[in-house]
Order: sequence, then C-alpha cells, then structure tokens
Amino acid sequence: MEVLSFTENTGLIALLVAILPFFSFVFILSSNKQKGANFALSTSALSFLLSLHLFLQIWNAEPEHVQLSWFQVAKVQFFAGVLLNNLSVLMMVLVSGISVLVHIYSREYMKNDPNLNRYWAYLNLFCFSMIGLVISDSLLLIYLFWELVGFSSYLLIGFWFNKNAASQAAKKAFIMNRIGDLGFLIGILIIYAQFQTLDLVSLFGDKGLLSSSFIENGLWISGSRNMPEIWLSIAGFSFFLGAMAKSAQFPLHAWLPDAMEGPTSISSLLHAATMVAAGVFLIARIYSVFDPLVLDIMVWIGAFTAFMAATIALTQNDIKRILAYSTISQLGFMVMALGIGAYSESIFHLTTHAFFKCLLFLAAGSVIHQLHHYSIKNSHGFDYQDIRFMGGLRKRMPFAFLGMCLASAALVGLPLTSGFLSKDSILIRTFEWAASREGVFVILPWIMVLTSWLTAFYIFRLIFRVFFSESREIKLDKLAHINDSPSSMTYVLIILSFFCTFIVFALNPVSFESSWLWKGFQLSVIKETRFFHWLVPLIINLGSILLIMFAYRIYVLDKSSKLTVGSWLYQISIRGWFFNEIYDFMFVKSVEKLAQIIYQFDRVVIDGLVIALATITQLLSSISHWFDRKVVDGLVNATGVFSGYIGRFFRTFQSGRLQHYLITMLLFVLSFFILSYLI
Amino acid sequence: MNLLSILIFLPIAAALLILVLPSSFNHRFKQISLSVSLIQFLLSLFIYTNFNQSIGGISKENEFQFVEKLSWIRLDLGSIGKLEIDYFLGIDGLSMPFLMLSALVMFVATLASWEIKTNLKAYFSLFLLLNTAVMGVFCALDFFLFYIFYELMLLPLYFLIGMWGGVRREYAAIKFFLYTLFGSVFMLLVIIGLYFSVLNPATGNHTFNMILMMSPENYISDSVFSATAGQSILGISARLLAFLVLFIAFAIKVPIVPLHTWLPDAHVEAPTPVSIILAGLLLKVGGYGILRVCFSIFPDSASQSAWWIGLIGLISILYGALNALAQADLKRLIAYSSISHMGFVMLGIASSTTEGISGAMLQMISHGALSAMLFFLVGMIYSRVHDREISNFRGLAELMPQFTFFVMIAFFASLGLPGFSAFMAEAFALIGAFTSEDVNGLLPRWMAIGASVGILLSAAYFLWTLQRMFFGQLYLNGGESWKARLVDVTIREKFALVPLAILTFLLGIFPSLLFNKMNASVLALVQLITG
Repeated sequence: MEVLSFTENTGLIALLVAILPFFSFVFILSSNKQKGANFALSTSALSFLLSLHLFLQIWNAEPEHVQLSWFQVAKVQFFAGVLLNNLSVLMMVLVSGISVLVHIYSREYMKNDPNLNRYWAYLNLFCFSMIGLVISDSLLLIYLFWELVGFSSYLLIGFWFNKNAASQAAKKAFIMNRIGDLGFLIGILIIYAQFQTLDLVSLFGDKGLLSSSFIENGLWISGSRNMPEIWLSIAGFSFFLGAMAKSAQFPLHAWLPDAMEGPTSISSLLHAATMVAAGVFLIARIYSVFDPLVLDIMVWIGAFTAFMAATIALTQNDIKRILAYSTISQLGFMVMALGIGAYSESIFHLTTHAFFKCLLFLAAGSVIHQLHHYSIKNSHGFDYQDIRFMGGLRKRMPFAFLGMCLASAALVGLPLTSGFLSKDSILIRTFEWAASREGVFVILPWIMVLTSWLTAFYIFRLIFRVFFSESREIKLDKLAHINDSPSSMTYVLIILSFFCTFIVFALNPVSFESSWLWKGFQLSVIKETRFFHWLVPLIINLGSILLIMFAYRIYVLDKSSKLTVGSWLYQISIRGWFFNEIYDFMFVKSVEKLAQIIYQFDRVVIDGLVIALATITQLLSSISHWFDRKVVDGLVNATGVFSGYIGRFFRTFQSGRLQHYLITMLLFVLSFFILSYLI
Repeated sequence: MNLLSILIFLPIAAALLILVLPSSFNHRFKQISLSVSLIQFLLSLFIYTNFNQSIGGISKENEFQFVEKLSWIRLDLGSIGKLEIDYFLGIDGLSMPFLMLSALVMFVATLASWEIKTNLKAYFSLFLLLNTAVMGVFCALDFFLFYIFYELMLLPLYFLIGMWGGVRREYAAIKFFLYTLFGSVFMLLVIIGLYFSVLNPATGNHTFNMILMMSPENYISDSVFSATAGQSILGISARLLAFLVLFIAFAIKVPIVPLHTWLPDAHVEAPTPVSIILAGLLLKVGGYGILRVCFSIFPDSASQSAWWIGLIGLISILYGALNALAQADLKRLIAYSSISHMGFVMLGIASSTTEGISGAMLQMISHGALSAMLFFLVGMIYSRVHDREISNFRGLAELMPQFTFFVMIAFFASLGLPGFSAFMAEAFALIGAFTSEDVNGLLPRWMAIGASVGILLSAAYFLWTLQRMFFGQLYLNGGESWKARLVDVTIREKFALVPLAILTFLLGIFPSLLFNKMNASVLALVQLITG
C-alpha cells in the first residue's frame, strides 16, 4: 500500500529524481575513493527509471503542481515546488536518459584519468541542476538551477584545469553565460515588480496573471500596478537574452566552441544534448511573456545564428568544433521556430537533436579516444582531433562509422530519420508562416533552406575526411592497430543510433503530424498550407543529396576544386566571423583598460584629494606654528622686551647721585615755567 | 545581570585577566580569547532561538527584547534641566543578526590570530576590547552609550593596525583613524542637538534615548530638530543637515565611494585578523547605523535623500568592481570587492522597500561571513610565503587542492552563485530597488538595472583571479622553497573556514533562517520611513 501511495506522489518522485544525483555528488566528493563510477551510474539509472515512471504518468495527463512555502520577505511568500507538465517530463526523461548513456560511455572513455572521482561528482552536480531546472515551478528557482547548470558546466569545461586553454574556456563560458543570467535576472525584476510573484502557474498559466494583464494607453497594467508598455518587451527580451547565452545564440555564442576543451563525453551531454537546450526550454516554459516584437527578434536572431554557425562549420578542422558549430546552428533552428510560433516543432527538434547530436559527439569521441591511444602508443605527436590527420577509419571502426552516418543523416534531415520529421517540420512551418507575412520575412525560409543545405555539406565533409579517404598522417598499415572502442562505448552508440530513426517518434516516416511527441504540444497557430508539406522536404532533400555528392567528389575522389583557401570568405569562415577578435577588442580589452583608468583615478584623484587635504592641513598647521612663534609669541616677547627697555631707561634715573637729581629737578621746573609761559 | 551585558563585558573581563597574567602564560592568551568568542557564540545562539520574531521593535520601546535599562548618569544642570543618560541595551530584528555575526567573525579572527607572534599580551587585550566595543554598538539604545561604544572601536583598531601591521602600517592606521574620526566628530554635534530637542515624556527631562528620538511627538515643538518647527541651518533644513552629517559618519564606515580610500590601505596593511574584523564587522556597523540612526530618527530626510543614496550605492557597486578588476594584489582586490558588495547594501536601504531592506540586511550578514572567509584565505597564503601578488602564483589547485576548494566556495559565493547567501541578498536588494518606483517612487528603475551589471563584473574579477592563480601549470615566483612552504589547509584553518562556508550555504538555501527573525522589524522600519 505504501509503495502505491508513494508512486502516486509525483511531486516527491520528481524531487527524488533531482536529489539522487545531488546525493551522489556529495557522496563521491566526500568519499574520496575511486569508486565513484558504480555509485554514479546506479543513482543516475535509478533517476532515469523514476523519470520514466513520471513520464508515463504525466504525459498528456493533467499537469502536476506541488509546492511548499520556502521563505517569506516581509509579507510576500515565496514558494518552492515542482511543476510537471508534458514539457518538463519530456525533458526529465531526455536528460536522465542521455545522462545514463553518457555515464556508461564515460566509464571507458575517462578510465585512465587520475581525477576520475571529481569527474563523476561534477557530472552528477550537472544532472542535479539540470533536472532541477526542468521541474522547478518558480522563476527564482529556475534561475537558481540555471546558474548551477552554468557552474557545473564551468567545472566540467575546466576539468583539466592544468591546461591553460581549458581554464580560459571555462571562464569565458561562465562570464558569457553571466551576461545572459543578467538578462534573466532583469526579467525577474520586471515580472516581480508587476505581479509580486514568481510562481510559474500563477504567472504563465492559462488564466495566469500575464494573460490577464493588458495594455492600455501605452501602459502595461496588472491589478493596481502598471508600467510603460515598453517594459513588457524589455522583460521578454531579457528572458530571451538569458536563453541566448545558454543556447549559444548570436551574439552570445562564442563560448560554445571553446567549451569543447572539456572531455568529449561532457561535450555530448552538456554542450550538445541537454544544457544548451535549456535556453530553448526556458523560452518554451514562459512562452506567454514574449510579445510580437520580441518574437520577431527571436526569429531573426535564430535564423542568423543558424546560418552563421553553418558557414563557420564548413571550414573548421577540429572534429569537435565542427560539431559545436553544428549545435549552434541547430539551436538557431529551434529558437527561430519558437519565434514564428512553431512551438511543438521546436520541442520536437530539441528532442531528436539531443539524440543525434549526442551520438555524433560520442562517435567522434570514440574516434578521438582510439587515435589518442594510438598516438600515445606510437609516440606520434599529431593532433588527434584534427580531421586533416584522419582518414580511412571506415573499415577499422565500423560502429563509429555507422553511428556517425546515421546521426549525420538525421542532422541533414534525410528520410527515415528522426531529423527528417522534426527539422522539415520546422522548415515547413517557416514557409507557412512567411506566407502570412510581408517584406523581408519572405526571405527567411530561404535562409533556413540554405542553412540546411550547408549542413549537409559540412557534416559529410567530416564523414568523408575521417572515414573515407586515406589518412595523411597515419599510414594504413599502422591502422591495423585501431579498432572500434571497447564494447561499452560501442553499445551506447548502438542505442543512440536507434533513437535517430523515425520509428521512435512516429509510425509514419514522412508525416510529422503523426508523431506522438508533436501531438503533445499542439499550440501552433500558423495557418496550414498543404502543398508545403511535400514540396519543402523534397527541395531540401534533393539539394542535400546533391551537396553530399559534391562533398564526395571533393573529399573522397580528391577532385578538389581547391576551394579558394586564401579567399576572404574562407578566412571569415575559418576564423568564425572574427567574433573572438571583435569581442576581445570591444569588451575584454576595453573593460580592462577602463578598470586601469578607474584605478588610476581612484589613486590619483580621489585618494589624491584625501592626501591633498592632509597636506593642506599640515601646511596650515606649520603656518599657524610660524604665526604662533613669530607673531603671537613675538608680540608677547616684544612686550617683554619693550618693558625691559623702558625699565632700563628709567633705571638710569635711579643713579643715586645728588647732582643728577638736582639737574633733573631743575630741568623739570624750568620746562614747567617755559611751557606755562608759552601757553 | 542581563544576557546582553554578559555578551558585551565578557571580553573586557577576559582582557583584564590577560593583563594580570604573567608573560609565561603567553601561549594561553589565544585560548582565552577563543573561548570568549565561543561562549559569545553560544550566548548569541541562545538569544537567536529565544528571540520573539513576531514583534518589530524599531520605534516602540516595549517591543525590544532582552532589554536592560539602568539609569547611569543623572546630573542636575540647573536651568537646563536634569542630564539623563541611561545604560540602555536591547535588541530587535535589526540588531539581533549582527550579534551572531559578531561572535562568529570574532571566533574566526581569533583563529587567524595564531599568526601573531609579538607582544601577545597587548594584542589580545586590545583585540578583546574591540570585541566589547562591537557588541556594544549593536546593543546600545541610548545614543550617548552608542557613541561611546562607537568611538571605543577606533582605539584598539588604531593600535592593532599601527603595531602589528605591514610595512606602511603607521600611514594606514593614521589614515583610518582620522578618516573615521572626521565623520564621528560632527555626529557628536547632532547628538547634542537631538538631546536638546527631545523630551522624555515619562520624566520631562531631555534624553539620549534613541527610540524616543524616533517619535515626532517627543520633540519640543520649537527645537532645532523638530519636524514641525522647520528650522534651518545655513539655508538647509536642520533635519536634513543632521541626517546628512550622521549619514556621512556612517557611510565612511560602510564605505561609500568617494569616502572609501581608507579601506584598501587599511586592509592591505592590517594583519589578517584585523582585516577580517574590519570587513566582517566594521563595515556592518556603518550599514547598521544608517538603518538604526539615520533612517529611523530622520525618516523624512531619508526619503528626501533616497535618490542620491541609491546613486551612491550604484556608483559604489560599479566603481568598486572595476577597481577590483585592476588589482595586482589579492588582498587589495578583495578590499575593493567589499566596496562593490556593500554598494548593494546602500542600494537596498535607499529603496526603502521591504524587499530592499531585507536584501540589504541579508547582504550585510552574508558579506560579513564571506569577507571574513576571503581575508582568512588570503592570510593563509600570506602567512606561508609572505607574498600575495596574483602574478606570482599559478596552478595552485594542483599544489593545494583543499585550499582551492575553499577559495572556490568563497569566490563563487561572493560572485552571487545561487545556493549561497550573497545571491539571495543581492537579488532582493535589486528587487527592492526595482520595485521602489512602483511602491514608493524613491528610486528609478534604471538604478537596479545598472547595479545588476555589478554582478557580471564580480564574476569577471573573481573568475579571472581563479584562472590566473589556481589553474594552469604550476608556477611559483619563489620556486622550490615556496612549494615546500605552501602546505594545504590545516585543521585549525578548517575550523575557521567550515563554519563560515556552512553559514553562507545555509542562508542561501534557507534565507528564512534570517528573514523570519527580522520580517517584523523590517515591516516596522518601512512603515516608519514611508509612513
């Protein structure tokens, strides 16, 4: 009976799902023994099973909302609780599921690291914060986990802190994310000032405060509070800024490629599948706060990010950086989709992307892992992440190859894959939406189509370079030593490959409307235009296949058209549109400079004033000292001297000689008579 | 004898004991001092648990708790009336949290005093005298008594910096002393003015009772500081002028930009325990004074000046943070970061909203613990190798993993990572500042938004330091001899660091531990200010 009542208590289970990894984090960190692996795996597996249970209970059922009083400031109560709806249970399963796979994968991948315990601890801290983020029911709580997610990402990127590049990348990631957090915080300030609550249900629910607030005469009014209309847009934009940083949208995208300094297993979980999706999740969770202005900004930022990142991915040589830019590009798709109101399509793509991008990274990790071992064994000092040094691994690592191919097909959106359903659904919606808009919006779908084609080219460039043509560095005879990674890693690839197929998400491989996942979030308000539904996939796939063939010609048949390596377009692409340089100059250097100037100001002007004041006081005191000695004391002395002088003068009269007295007397009498005579 | 009196005078008793003990007991002095702060901590814990959180205090004398009121000086002054000075102690939600903080910070500072090697007798007597003064300030409700404790803090601090400090200790000590004295001298004038303006309704005498000064009906109608008389001095309203004088006196302690330059010098030259007390408690006396004295006695002038106080807070936040970014000396960096973090206190107070003042209070407690922790950590490096130049260290994480662990807690907590107290504090200070325009119209919204940039800058200087000093390949300027001396955290140091870490973590997760105790007082204070 008790078990039964427990399983019905969904809030408690959700809490347990979050707490388990935290428990494991504390335990591993404090135990200090190298036994973290089993513990971490078992808690994460348990956490996954529980979230699966929750998923089955909540999906398409009534949302669950449980909360407790957290604290009270003066008269305002703040609550902490769990809000489970389709979105959060989906994310829970996604996060905990992929985390289990990454746990299994990491056991082998990280086996020889001396600080393995720390790795497990940080990984579990991440799981805790991410699960916490998706189940939280108030903005304050989401913000708390939001930053914790950033913190665990900081720890994991900088896991090899001895490497200067890693610690730099970790710092960059955290600070760039902080800019987004700032936006999030400002959003919270505005919402709180307007509604005096941060509770998601009462704010964003169906009859929530936000939907009952209204705009009148340029004022945004809710109850007794009001503020100028612009603050609604500012609030929306602030939250979006937070999402931009986490989901690596232009202009806050520059941290993600650098974040690849962390272990590849981490890149796959955090910086491809789950954490970077947090921004998209946030937008979806508080969707009603965004007004049309902010949604349009979202559309353009997403579209530009998708396009820009795809162009950069074309020329990168580091296998992980290609995938990182690909992630940025795909996140751009999701953000753009939310901007046009394709809510369910965006979430759908988030889910499928999590699986195929995770697979891409783990397969790449498998290649890196094996090449790394090879390079150590043969003391070959080559860069084992550089695709220019790879080649011909297809026969040696068939599982990694097949996994990579399947995931790439999904990324490109080829038929029978999950990506075909989700990505093409976004593109179809984009066409439908643009048809209802005018002006520059017409070109939007074509930007996305172009981006989609670029995707096909860059990802197959990677595959052809790594798995097909001959290696430039590794001689083929030596390749005999390279095999697929140990079985546990390979199993993970196989499982993930399965999730890249259509069958997991829909029975009908060509219709996204038949997908159970898409149906779970039907919010779309876009007018449907039937013929886009077959035309768009056709255009995309034809173009993609042509480009894949083109890539094959260049990279496998080596009919290199010498893709203008020196040209400025190539430079823009390979240097990532120079964003790092621009930011370094505009922000990092200028803030450092400003800090130096301010410090000089502090020392010279402000402290200078204090010291000047002290000096003036000293000067005044020496002047008064001089005055005191020379004038005041001088007067006293002068009086003394003067009276002495008078005294001396009169003393001369007291000579004691009778003649003197008589003379004097005579003189006085005489002068008396003379004077009286004259007068 | 009242509990608060014990809390205040226990250190003095211990100081007398130390003075009479022969020098052969030198090594016992720190134990005596440590047990004093332990007892104080237990006492304050007892006070915390027995504190009635439902009554506010502030301007109602009967709502104060643990009150002790004895008539102290009664002097017939003929025509002027009878001089009435009371020994009047009591606490409300505004002062109670500081008692716990003081005991804790003193405990940590004593543990840091292990490094002091010379003239122990003088050191510990002065140290304990300082302890008495700090506790006294937070308990005193008679303005005369308050002023005595307030000035009493300066004396031991002057000697502690001037005798046990660094190379330029005399300069720093004099600068500190004169700076703060400058503020408090004028304060005395205001106190006397208030004395002659206020009558104790019970006895009909003039009084120094602070609580009576908070009610307008106790003022003689034509006196200097009477709100109805509207007297002016030098063309400025007398009440506003008095408010400004008191505000500057306390603000120097906080400190605010541009009255802050004593702080970096004093911190850099002071020995570690004194830095801990300076940052952990002295600055809070400033913030506490502003709330207890300036805002409570002159609420009308406070509202008038709120805009400027908010602006000062904003400037302090950004200016302090930018300065911190430019520092090469770790201790100086933390000193400037203190200025930045105390700016949030000013901002929260200026907003005069419940959220803002709660945030400011939490920020003071939180910063008290965190700055103590930060200065303790700097002191650990300095005591090992006598150097704290950031560029002389790299990759310390490898050499001192536990030390790095504590540094990361302190840094991330200070930069406002949620889950630690500073986040809650800064968030609520900002919320208060932002809602102010809607609630009472005192602060414009852009101030809160500008101040939030400070959170970004604090991440920048802390993480940059972390990356430069602790990560990367190991490099030490002093080579092998430094490497041998840089041992990891010792047991004694853990005893100091762990309680602070726990406190900041607890307050971050359960801010209600503090909020519950002061909600009533904050409400009463806001009621008093905004009417």
